[in-house]
Amino acid sequence: MSDVWPVRARLALGLFVVLLATGCGQAASHSKPESSVVAVSERDFAVTAPRSLVAGDVVFRVENRGPDSHELLVVRASAARLPMRSDGLTVDEERLQHREVGVLEPAEVHAVRDLRLHLTPGRYVLFCNMSGHFIGGMHRLLVVR
Amino acid sequence: MRSRRAFRPFAMRSRRTVVAIVATMALVSALSAYLSIRAASNSQHRATVIEVAGRQRTLAERYVQEVLLALSGAQADPAHTAALLASSAHVLLDGGLAPAVNGDDDEAQLSRATDPVVRGELQQEQRLVHDLTATGSAVLEGRDPAGVALTAHERIPAVDPVQRLRVVAALTSNVSLNAARSIATRDDRNITHLIEILVALGIGGLVASLGLAWALIAATRRQTEHFRSLVSHSTDLVVVLAQGCRYVSSSVASALGRPEAELLGQGFLRFVHEDDHALVEAVQRDGRPAQIILRLRNERGDWRHLEAHVSDLRHDRHVRGVVLNARDITERVRLERELTAQAQRDTFGTQLIEALEMADEEAATFDVVERAMVEISPRSPMELLLSDSSRAHLERAATSPTSGAPACPVQSPFSCVAVRRGSPVVFDSSDSLNACPKLRGRPDGSCSAVCVPVSFMGRALGVLHATGPVGQPPGSDQVSQLTTLATQAGARIGTVRAFQRTQLQASTDGLTGLVNRRTLETQLRGLMKHRRPFALAIADLDRFKQLNDTYGHEAGDRALRVFAKTAQDVLREDDVIARWGGEEFVIVVPDLNRHQAVSVLERIRERLAAAHTGGHPAFTSSFGMTDSTCAESLEQILHLADAALYDAKDAGRDCIMISDAGREVASGPVVLDEEASGAPSIHPADTFPPLHGGAEEEDPLPSGHEIR
Repeated sequence: MSDVWPVRARLALGLFVVLLATGCGQAASHSKPESSVVAVSERDFAVTAPRSLVAGDVVFRVENRGPDSHELLVVRASAARLPMRSDGLTVDEERLQHREVGVLEPAEVHAVRDLRLHLTPGRYVLFCNMSGHFIGGMHRLLVVR
Repeated sequence: MRSRRAFRPFAMRSRRTVVAIVATMALVSALSAYLSIRAASNSQHRATVIEVAGRQRTLAERYVQEVLLALSGAQADPAHTAALLASSAHVLLDGGLAPAVNGDDDEAQLSRATDPVVRGELQQEQRLVHDLTATGSAVLEGRDPAGVALTAHERIPAVDPVQRLRVVAALTSNVSLNAARSIATRDDRNITHLIEILVALGIGGLVASLGLAWALIAATRRQTEHFRSLVSHSTDLVVVLAQGCRYVSSSVASALGRPEAELLGQGFLRFVHEDDHALVEAVQRDGRPAQIILRLRNERGDWRHLEAHVSDLRHDRHVRGVVLNARDITERVRLERELTAQAQRDTFGTQLIEALEMADEEAATFDVVERAMVEISPRSPMELLLSDSSRAHLERAATSPTSGAPACPVQSPFSCVAVRRGSPVVFDSSDSLNACPKLRGRPDGSCSAVCVPVSFMGRALGVLHATGPVGQPPGSDQVSQLTTLATQAGARIGTVRAFQRTQLQASTDGLTGLVNRRTLETQLRGLMKHRRPFALAIADLDRFKQLNDTYGHEAGDRALRVFAKTAQDVLREDDVIARWGGEEFVIVVPDLNRHQAVSVLERIRERLAAAHTGGHPAFTSSFGMTDSTCAESLEQILHLADAALYDAKDAGRDCIMISDAGREVASGPVVLDEEASGAPSIHPADTFPPLHGGAEEEDPLPSGHEIR
């Protein structure tokens, strides 16, 4: 009898822990909706991404397919073209600070990184601003609805 | 089947392990050195690669400037720069001799890029260089650069040829810079990786070495355990002396019943016998002598005797001390001592028996006993207490000449507990509850004692008593010797007393206690031999037969005893009276002649008349007397006295008659005792001497005169 009771007690305790964990998980899922993951790839010299997305939280899973190193900047687009620096080779990031949504620093080839963003409806530009890369073709327009 | 390895405690078990440790450390060190050298070499090489890769950026920018200069008509050589760019890009990718740049770098030998990422970047750079130089050539030749097929997938929307050229140059610079950065990063990673490898090698080597060292320690421990087991289970006792005791084997601790910690250091000497201290210190100092015997006190306070072989190993760096390999010989020493004591006891016993055999009297026996007392223990008071003839009282017969008597107050043999038990009794202290009460109250205070009964043929004769200090009674050897002394002395004293008693019975008359006829004849011959004059009288109780017949033999015997007692009372100490036979007595009065002795006989006669006879009638006695001057031989003297006695009887009895020299003997011969005289017989011619001589006239009392 004394051997049975601890077994039952352990089973009850285990069930309680499982239920508690399950309940907590459900509560968390209800309180915070899951972000959508969007695949974004960079290569010399292009950025590949969906042309449009639904507004909300989004995770850009950015893969650098090389062969050069690349960074990624997400800025809200305007009607005008992105301002260039005086060298004519790179975008003037300082003038885009108020429109900047997210940034991933340069990464080596084959690196995969997540950029978590909350996108509101609008137009966005994804681009690499390493010297000549933007001009060389590494930019992508994204529409969020 | 696995064979059992032989037990080899002296084998060098650690050699293989040490070799393995050294080999491991050598391998790790060599590998580390190799990797370090290779890393250093690679780093040096990569610095050149990075320099060349970085130089590509400069060359790309220079190429754009030279194209622009050439377009403006200035002197420039963009083709040469393009060639440098292409050559450098090729060498960076596939290795070879990097070209020199005027005013900048010399030629440098590069190896082929191997890292896939770097190779990807360099290949892209090579394509961009191609695109750059192709665009540049198109610009210089006035063609539309947009028509140049780009190989690096760049999509340049700009229509301005120069701008297009600048973009391609920027891309070339950027990828070159990134390639240089990747090479540097990989170099850093390689160095980090090398450091990790070195650390891993170090750790691995250390772990391997520790494992091997552990194995070595385990092997050494096993070997040590083997030796420890050998030493511990050996009956030999091992002691290492070096500024005190450095080591004792467990057998030493077991033998002495003390923990090893007590024996180590200076504590060892505390248990060494005081007399052996100097020996142990000499051994510790000199490493000699080679063989010693020392005594150590065990936990019970007993002395253990160790016979030790000394080995001077002070110069052996593994020992650094003097080693004693000892064995316990206590039992052997005890047996030797017992044998020695037994031999001494045997010697003592033999000498004692020989000495006692020479003692023919009690006094001589006591003298031997006293000398034996000194032999046993000159410092112990001792005494021999013997019973007297009544066996009711004990008297001190012998005392230790050197230590005196312990003065035991015991009065009778059976008041002595040792006599009652019939065996030796030892008392540790007179104050003990079970001590003999006669030990208490001695003048010298408390004592220990041993009491040994003295007996002969099972009859108690007395006790041999010795004392000592409290708690130190005579030892077992002394008790054994005392027992021997008591036994032998008892036997001798008993023998002497029995002999004396037999001798007395042979020389005296049993009824009267007077000397008998044989003894008297011996004494008379002694007087004659020494020519000592004497008067001799034969007394005969008057009408003794009538007394016997009338009043019985008891009355006769009583009359004989009365006469003997009366005569003894009158006679001097030197005078002799003997019962001659029947109712006849012989009285000898030395140094008096027959006339002078008359008064003596007269006093006997008078005393006899007044003697108390126990209710029976008084009796008288007749005397016949002569002296040694009247005849030459004893027989003749006796004949003269006997003749005078007959005269006295004839004269009416109760009178004294004197025979002079020359008187004829009227009656039969007087027969002497053959054994006492020593002669087989007396010749008739000698036994009938003339009874009457010429000296009669000189005699104031004529022969045959009756004196009443």
